[in-house]
Amino acid sequence: MLYKILPRDSYQSFVENLIRNFDFIGPKRKDKATHEFTKITSFGELDLSYKKTTIPPAKQILFPSTEEIVEYRREDNSIEFRPVVEHSLKLLFGVHSCDINAINFLDKVFSTDFSDDNYLSKRRNMVIIGTDCEPRETCFCLAMGKEYVTAGFDLFLSELTNRYFVRVATSQGNKLIEKYASGISSAGEKDFKEYNEKIGDFRKKFKLSPDAKSFYDNFDLIYNDEEFWKKVAKNCFSCGSCCLVCPTCFCFNVRDEIELNLKEGKRIREWDSCMIPEYGLVAGGHNFRPTKENRLKQRYQCKLKTFVDKFNTYACVGCGRCIETCLANISIASDIDSVRKEVTV
Amino acid sequence: MKEKESKKTIYVPDIAKITRIEEVTPTEKLFNIVFEEPKKQEEFSFKPGQFVELTVFGVGEAPFSITSNPNNKEYFQLCIRNIGNVSGALHRMKEGSKVGIRGPFGNGYFPYEKMKNHNVLIIAGGLGLAPLMSLIRYILDSRDDYKEIMIIYGAVNPASILYKEDIGEWCKRDDIRVCLTVDNPDDKWTGEIGVCTNLIPRVDFPPEDTKVVVCGPPVMYKYVVQELEKKEFAPEDVYLSLERRMECGVGKCNHCHIGNKLSCVDGPVFSLWEIKNLKEAI
Ligand SMILES: Cc1cc2nc3c(=O)[nH]c(=O)nc-3n(C[C@H](O)[C@H](O)[C@H](O)COP(=O)(O)OP(=O)(O)OC[C@H]3O[C@@H](n4cnc5c(N)ncnc54)[C@H](O)[C@@H]3O)c2cc1C
Ligand code: SF4
Ligand code: SF4
Repeated sequence: MLYKILPRDSYQSFVENLIRNFDFIGPKRKDKATHEFTKITSFGELDLSYKKTTIPPAKQILFPSTEEIVEYRREDNSIEFRPVVEHSLKLLFGVHSCDINAINFLDKVFSTDFSDDNYLSKRRNMVIIGTDCEPRETCFCLAMGKEYVTAGFDLFLSELTNRYFVRVATSQGNKLIEKYASGISSAGEKDFKEYNEKIGDFRKKFKLSPDAKSFYDNFDLIYNDEEFWKKVAKNCFSCGSCCLVCPTCFCFNVRDEIELNLKEGKRIREWDSCMIPEYGLVAGGHNFRPTKENRLKQRYQCKLKTFVDKFNTYACVGCGRCIETCLANISIASDIDSVRKEVTV
Repeated sequence: MKEKESKKTIYVPDIAKITRIEEVTPTEKLFNIVFEEPKKQEEFSFKPGQFVELTVFGVGEAPFSITSNPNNKEYFQLCIRNIGNVSGALHRMKEGSKVGIRGPFGNGYFPYEKMKNHNVLIIAGGLGLAPLMSLIRYILDSRDDYKEIMIIYGAVNPASILYKEDIGEWCKRDDIRVCLTVDNPDDKWTGEIGVCTNLIPRVDFPPEDTKVVVCGPPVMYKYVVQELEKKEFAPEDVYLSLERRMECGVGKCNHCHIGNKLSCVDGPVFSLWEIKNLKEAI
């Protein structure tokens, strides 16, 4: 990691240079309440005051809601299958720590056991510039250890008085800042001091602090307590919105579409949600998770336990999107604490 | 920019041809399949318990267990029940038709190496015999490597019994014990009646010298495991193949997860000990 200082005066021209030279994706205001990551063509469109986007950047760009993965053709009795892989260079600007941590998680998912080139080729061709943020009511990334990110980005910009503290994580990032920004200098003692204070203050601002560590073991004890899980899932509509907005949810379905000429077709993957009843259904009608309590319990297990075993990390970055989205007011943060309370009472 | 690459991804099937179709029951057919590219066919090797992902053009893809002998290099065989979109479309196909194949998949197979020099107890329910056929055929090729072999197979009714010819051959041999049972007998049925679980109490293999493999519908496992535990088989010596919904076969779509395992890459065959450590497995 290199630590550099970008003067405030140079910031706009730096970003404008990037917009000119890259397929630049950043946060833009969509309507009064929401922002989304989308193509930015001028500095004015970029709105870094956003708190969080409804759809996380990873899922907007790297793992879109529907994606063609194979195309095929039939001619008489011959068939041909061809991979469809996208790999154009993109620059993703203004991503927050939790969302970069989520991308790091998806990187592991899509490269473990088998390499998924549909995801990885997009990822390899993506420049990521992170920016700092202010926690919202529903944010609990601190409790998940995801409020800070140390890898997975090229540059990370933190705003200090009259300047930006820039963490440079890759040589690609270093080239960008050398080529497109003026007035760059190395960070010194004074800069580090202010940076540390800023991070320290940031960590004090969180309102939610669920005890995620307690979930890992206590979950086992409460696993068969049907009453408890019925209570937790009581209002769930099984709508799956919590998964759609989650930056780490990656479950997908695969389906084929065929053209009317019956000669060409494509295979498409699209997001699925473990909260929807059909998720665990197999041919013959057996459903491995027939009730909403089964499904919510499973979702929590996946977020807070499964990937601790597999990758030594939570599959929840504490972004709070699911809490804001759920019409039934189900909150993973309060449920983490309910599990602990139930067990220790 | 979407590019059509020549480099294959994990989602691109190889082309293969159905060389033979045999109707074995009113709902099941056997399909012999050969890769179009001779080199691919030569290189294709699998272990008993592994599966392939099969594409029917314009319909979709589904996982199917390989039923043929891994020693058979000329073709591989699937046994498919007509139950939905892909399987139904396959049932309408003719010999000579082309399909797409990915695989073989599944790191968890029936561990025949561990069965060597032990008794082998094989318990199959319904279509669960299909993946076990691969194991049975394989171990019978080197019969002397194993001690006693006992096969318990339960079917819904006599008409749904799969692999009748093979079973007939086994019954003629004195080095395999075969116990057949059906839930719903017809007038001609003279054999056992009831679920296959009922036959487990008769097994007289010493638990310390026996490996057990089980494959059947999801509802069967709990009861089979109860009976096996009464016999005091060690959970490390019992292997079960777990079917789950699979959309990709390569550990990405996540549908087949059971706790921290994925049936497609970590299974589909797991030891009972592994399963005991997983929630929701059986
Ligand atoms: C490891 C493994 C091995 C298998 N081996 C064999 C075998 O040897 N022989 C065999 O006949 N079958 C086998 N199967 C089952 C097979 O893969 C298919 O599930 C079965 O053939 C039905 O597929 P289909 O496309 O014909 O049915 P479809 O009806 O199209 O169903 C396709 C998939 O979608 C799911 N589904 C069904 N209904 C719904 C719904 N309403 N909403 C959402 N999803 C739905 C099902 O769970 C199914 O997996 C195996 C499955 C696994 C996982
Ligand atoms: S928890 Fe909320 S968002 Fe998720 S499925 Fe249930 S109702 Fe929908
Ligand atoms: S589970 Fe909820 S809080 Fe956790 S990462 Fe997903 S959307 Fe964010």
